[in-house]
Amino acid sequence: MCFRKLLLLFVGILATSETPAQTSYPMLMSIRPVAAQQGQTSEHTVRSRYDLYGAYKVLVSGDGVQGEVVPHAVKQGEKPGKIEALKVRFTVSANAQPGVRDFRLATPRGVSTLGQLVITRGAVVLEAGNNDSLSTPQTVELPATLCGAIEEAEDIDYYQFRVDADTSFSFHVRSMRLQDRIHDLQQHVDPILTLRSKSGATLASSDNFYSADPFLGYHFEDAGEYLLEIRDVRYHGNAYWEYSIEVAAQPFVLNTYPLGLAARKAAQVELIGFSIPSNPIAEFQVPAQQGKTVEVGIPLESTLSNPVPLIVTDLPLTNEQPQEHSRTENAQQVSVPTGINGRLSSEGEIDCYAFDAMKGDMLTVEVTARRRQSAIDSHLRILDSNGKQLQLNDDLKIGKRGYSDSLIESWTVPADGKYVIELRDVHLRGGPRFVYFLELTRSKPYFQLFADTDKTQLAPGAAGVIFVRAVRKNGFAGTIELGIDHLPEGVTASSGRILPDGQDGCIILEASPETNLAATNVLIHGKATRSNNGPAADSSIIPAAQYQETYLPGGGRGHWPVEMHTVAIGRPGDVLELALDNYEITLEPGETQKINVEVKRAKGFDKNVTLDVIYQHLGSVYGNTLPKGVTIDANASKTLLTAGATQGQLVFKADPKASPVDSQQVSVMANVSINFVMKTTFSSKPLLISVAKSSSAKPAD
Amino acid sequence: MQMLKCVIATCVLVVSILATAAGQQLRITPDRVRVTGKFQQIQLLVQQKEAPNTTVTDLDDLTRLANYAILDESVARVDTHGRITGLDDGITKVKIAYQDLVQEISVEVQGAANTQIEFAQDILPILNKAGCAAGACHASQFGKGGFKLSIFGFDPQADFRAIARASRGRRLNFGSPEFSLLMAKPAMQVPHGGGRRLDTNSIGYEVLREWISHGAPPPVNEPIKAVSLHVTPKQRTTELDETQQLRAVVKYSDDSFRDVTSFARYDVMDESVLAVTSEGLVTATGKGQSAVMVRYEGQVEAVTFVVPFGNRAQLANWTNHNFIDQLAANKFRELQLEPSGLCDDATFLRRAFLDALGALPTLTETSAFLTSADPEKRAHLVKRLLGLAKDPAENIYNDRYASFWTLKWSDLIRNNSNDLGEQGMWALHNWIKESFRTNKPYDQFVRELVTAKGSIYSSGPANYFRINGNASELTEATSQIFLGLRLECAKCHHHPFESYSQTDYYGLAAFFARVGQKGSEEFGLFGRESVIVVRDTGEVKHPRTGQQMAPTPLAGEPIDHELDRRIPLAKWLTAPDNHLFAESVVNRYVGYLLGRGLVEPIDDMRSTNPPSNTALLSALSKTFVDSQFNLKHLMHEIMTSRLYQLSSQPTEHNFSDRRFYSHYRVKRLAAEPLLDAIDKAVGATTKFKNLPPGTRATELPDAEYPNYFLKTFAKPRRASVCECERVPDENLAQALHTLNGDILAEKISGKASRIGKLLANKTEHDDIVNQLYLATLIRPPSPQELAFSRELLKTSPNPKECYEDLLWALINSKQFLFVH
Repeated sequence: MCFRKLLLLFVGILATSETPAQTSYPMLMSIRPVAAQQGQTSEHTVRSRYDLYGAYKVLVSGDGVQGEVVPHAVKQGEKPGKIEALKVRFTVSANAQPGVRDFRLATPRGVSTLGQLVITRGAVVLEAGNNDSLSTPQTVELPATLCGAIEEAEDIDYYQFRVDADTSFSFHVRSMRLQDRIHDLQQHVDPILTLRSKSGATLASSDNFYSADPFLGYHFEDAGEYLLEIRDVRYHGNAYWEYSIEVAAQPFVLNTYPLGLAARKAAQVELIGFSIPSNPIAEFQVPAQQGKTVEVGIPLESTLSNPVPLIVTDLPLTNEQPQEHSRTENAQQVSVPTGINGRLSSEGEIDCYAFDAMKGDMLTVEVTARRRQSAIDSHLRILDSNGKQLQLNDDLKIGKRGYSDSLIESWTVPADGKYVIELRDVHLRGGPRFVYFLELTRSKPYFQLFADTDKTQLAPGAAGVIFVRAVRKNGFAGTIELGIDHLPEGVTASSGRILPDGQDGCIILEASPETNLAATNVLIHGKATRSNNGPAADSSIIPAAQYQETYLPGGGRGHWPVEMHTVAIGRPGDVLELALDNYEITLEPGETQKINVEVKRAKGFDKNVTLDVIYQHLGSVYGNTLPKGVTIDANASKTLLTAGATQGQLVFKADPKASPVDSQQVSVMANVSINFVMKTTFSSKPLLISVAKSSSAKPAD
Repeated sequence: MQMLKCVIATCVLVVSILATAAGQQLRITPDRVRVTGKFQQIQLLVQQKEAPNTTVTDLDDLTRLANYAILDESVARVDTHGRITGLDDGITKVKIAYQDLVQEISVEVQGAANTQIEFAQDILPILNKAGCAAGACHASQFGKGGFKLSIFGFDPQADFRAIARASRGRRLNFGSPEFSLLMAKPAMQVPHGGGRRLDTNSIGYEVLREWISHGAPPPVNEPIKAVSLHVTPKQRTTELDETQQLRAVVKYSDDSFRDVTSFARYDVMDESVLAVTSEGLVTATGKGQSAVMVRYEGQVEAVTFVVPFGNRAQLANWTNHNFIDQLAANKFRELQLEPSGLCDDATFLRRAFLDALGALPTLTETSAFLTSADPEKRAHLVKRLLGLAKDPAENIYNDRYASFWTLKWSDLIRNNSNDLGEQGMWALHNWIKESFRTNKPYDQFVRELVTAKGSIYSSGPANYFRINGNASELTEATSQIFLGLRLECAKCHHHPFESYSQTDYYGLAAFFARVGQKGSEEFGLFGRESVIVVRDTGEVKHPRTGQQMAPTPLAGEPIDHELDRRIPLAKWLTAPDNHLFAESVVNRYVGYLLGRGLVEPIDDMRSTNPPSNTALLSALSKTFVDSQFNLKHLMHEIMTSRLYQLSSQPTEHNFSDRRFYSHYRVKRLAAEPLLDAIDKAVGATTKFKNLPPGTRATELPDAEYPNYFLKTFAKPRRASVCECERVPDENLAQALHTLNGDILAEKISGKASRIGKLLANKTEHDDIVNQLYLATLIRPPSPQELAFSRELLKTSPNPKECYEDLLWALINSKQFLFVH
């Protein structure tokens, strides 16, 4: 390669070319190596669908990991082509928490979908050369983190290593779990790990431990050479199926008992896992951070353990008693509220807890186990004092996703008396790993918020919209005022609300015409204001969880919870502006009103544009902020703008029985199809819709 | 009340079934006769009393040779077959004479004047025996000629309506019973599509006439039921062309007994050995061993007949390697069979490799074995093949052993991606393979399968409940795979060859009534994982009675479990004292290794299909149970026995034996081992879809692959739990495929083939030929064969064609295509 013909340029500087029509933000497909070591700076290749050209920023979740785009080399005199592979440099601090981090790249076409990076303690060894047969293994020195890819069908990777006699290693694979956030990866890996003798004889194997990812602990009695094999269990392969195998010689802690710990207190726990010291008891200071997503490295003899999932709480704690308590008659007595730490120690074990309650009490019972890496698939019942079943739950759902834990919420006590909570594994299993945390609390009204997407793309002078959906709990029926923090400079927000009789609200963002390329992670939140009906909720600010949209085979929209929502200012897209002839309308019940919409198209863009006020796809509605009783009259509206057309109209219709509403924020959207499934959505500035009060109705808000 | 009297009377009769009149020369069964009613017929059995050094089973049957006379012919009559029928109440005697031996026994007749006919107890057996209630006749789906009966009379009320009420009662003529269609048709008094089914002189004909003449009374609401059948003799050793009259007595639910010899149905299991009449007279028509199946109203019994092959068996060079040989030798002596000698080392090596691993040995392995002077080398080889060698370094075949036996069990369990999806199929495959790699005790293997739950991706055996998606499928699959019982008949009616009824079937099905599935997202957005769970509710009902069935093991009492009924089911199923559990798998392995099961078909274990060597099956089963259900131990015992190591060449004394292992029974290589063997012999590989190069056919996890060879050679599609799905017979397509097919020709002539390499290395002719023989037949060529090859070389256009022709011929030889 002739260096005189190359020009090293920071690609961000080159971001001046015209954005082609109907182009998408980039979708990250993989990163190689998929792991980065603590205390090191390393370069990784990020691969994508759609163009990474002009990438200028790397956003990484959590603390201790910084990313930057490595300047990209282009040949002098050549027009920059589409870039679908890019070098990214990560710097990981020495005390960065090991585990998985989300990251994404900001480009002129918007921020990318998420990729995932594994932060590991061991030195990263990248798969190299032909290691696809037993006779040509890649020799590695352990412990290390082996990174490679099951890159094509029938690919098998072999690693050869040497161990001393009486050595234990854990082999922890991350691969399938790194793929749910990849937008456009429509088949996921199912790896299987096999440990072999030098001659190829199977010694041990693991298929699914963490979901589809294997984990293997093995004690090598004899010194010698051994082989590690990884492949997809079906012999499938994909260029984007990256894996990391963290091979460690230290104990691998899966869980602690107890699982639930008091915040800010010193804790003494039993360590559960592989190669645990003969004395499994460890002591450490529990952090102040409360919740069910805490992961802590527990002090071992000379180091910290791998991060261990815990539950940190301020609830009064109860420990399961050693005496038999498997039936209604001998149930362990507890009081309300409490958090019970227990374990199904043996096969078929059933744990029963009795409590006293008064008629009309509203109680919530929640099992947290599988979500915190316990082996339990819980089966939860509430029984009366005679053992008769009153309530049963197997699996629970949070937002759009289901989990194997159990939840009985807002159970109304039918009469004064003693009741029993019965907990078992649905498959009657038991053992050291079957720990659980069982919360018995009084039900309080509250709500959960879910933002439909994890990124909002803006352009200078243009607007974008974020839809937020509320799930109301325990009778909460009030209004929720939405808010957003940490916006990029030059971006302003009009935060809407979720009406008492609605489930969706929106936040409309506007970028000033003077803004430059920028991307920040924002915090979307909501707050209960007041309630005319039902109990009031806590007035604290509730953060919204966000979902990344994922392409489902067949064209549907999948959603996977992610940690960051990024607002980015990029280059102008196909629609420069949506102008309405009226931004505030009031409808009388039974009345219709028309709004004219002008779509300002980018130069040369003449493809179809569809107008809408409801965020929907293939018949499913993901965001509808219209007041109840207000609809779009589809026949009277003109929403499809073809062949470069710019003028449309929306006719709003209020039902004769529509309740009065004052200034509900609505986004008028222009959708441009990117492909069969995807579309880019542009927003108008806020449209405020009111429904006038009728003589027979009271205002809803 | 009359029925009750009948019951009491016949009780006395049965007590005497096995009695022998002391001090007399003839052995008469029974030793006194009580007849109740005028339609009961008592069958006498006459034998000459046993002499010293003979056993009851050796006694000649004189029933058809003796003369009979009733002293008072107004009380009873006796025919030339020794059947006594009551005529009027009273007491008399019957005189039995054979040559100069004469004996009398008493005959008492009761209730002759007041004989009552009960529909279910008396009429239905006649229709069953005549075949009217068979599936091919009036019990077919739509009946015949507008007349429909329940299969085997399992629904007496419906049958009564069909006979006496349907078509405005036109089938019965109360004034002239003989003109009733019910009698006239089977007796061919009027045209009958089913031909003559009833003799006008038979006792059945008389019973029908009597029932109709009394107004054809309907069935009683709760008739007594047959609960067991006793057939005499139980076992018989006889000579060619000799006969034996059978005698069948049924026991009813009220503990009464009745002679039903005239009403029972008789079938022989091997028509090359025995013939039987509808009256229960058995004739030895060939040499060997067979059974007669006797059926009466849902009760079944088998009688075993042994017809020795010759009159002397020396077993002069026979030495017992273990208990198997002792019990085999006993059978040889019983049958007067002279076993063949031991096979040679090369044959044993090939046989052992193919049986244990489904593969041929390498040239190195062959050479090492054939040149070894170790007198125990066969035993050591078996240990190495099974991974039982003391030195772990010698146990190098464990993965291949696991692969081969995973293939076998995947066929039975029907692992396939069509039902399970790829991940489920692989999960089940890997679990089976791991089970065989670790030599998991068989009872544990079955328990894990039958009680499986959880993710179909993470818990391989949970897929069993996806393959078999409902309680009926689970009942039939579980009973056939693990007990060798084919219960599907009992789903709709009483099992024709077994004692199992619909109640038994649905009682067993109730164990699976609560198995269900739920979704899970643990495998992510695209995981589509299903989880097998046991629900809190779910029952099975008897389809005819509507009764909710309690979970009940076969021939057992109800057992339940509050949370998972399958737990007690698995406990019962795998219990050491559940003899069928051990026997069924032992029989399979005997079949796999010795070419034929002690019971055939090897998954049809029923009382009416007795083993060829009962003692051997029992002993092997006991050994298997005592070894904690250790399959490798079982294989080791069989493969190290002398019986396993016999030559496949029959002698003039044993060539007609097909059942008793007097010479090793050759068996065709199954599709997968055959393809692997060809690949190994020619030095080629076959690429299978979605599997990496080098994957052997015996390692294939799924049921179907787009491979013409495997399809032609009958790789099962895993649609059935029956062993018969893997068709053992060769066919024309297979022969044409190896004789003329492109696949073999291309493999042989490929550039990277064995021949190509040998020629490239300029190997000498004799060495090439030697290697071709070792690679295919696992033996060096004989001097004649070598000489022939030299001639072939001279007449061939070039050496390459010579060797390709030779290899082609070797692969098409029976020595290659069969385990011998």
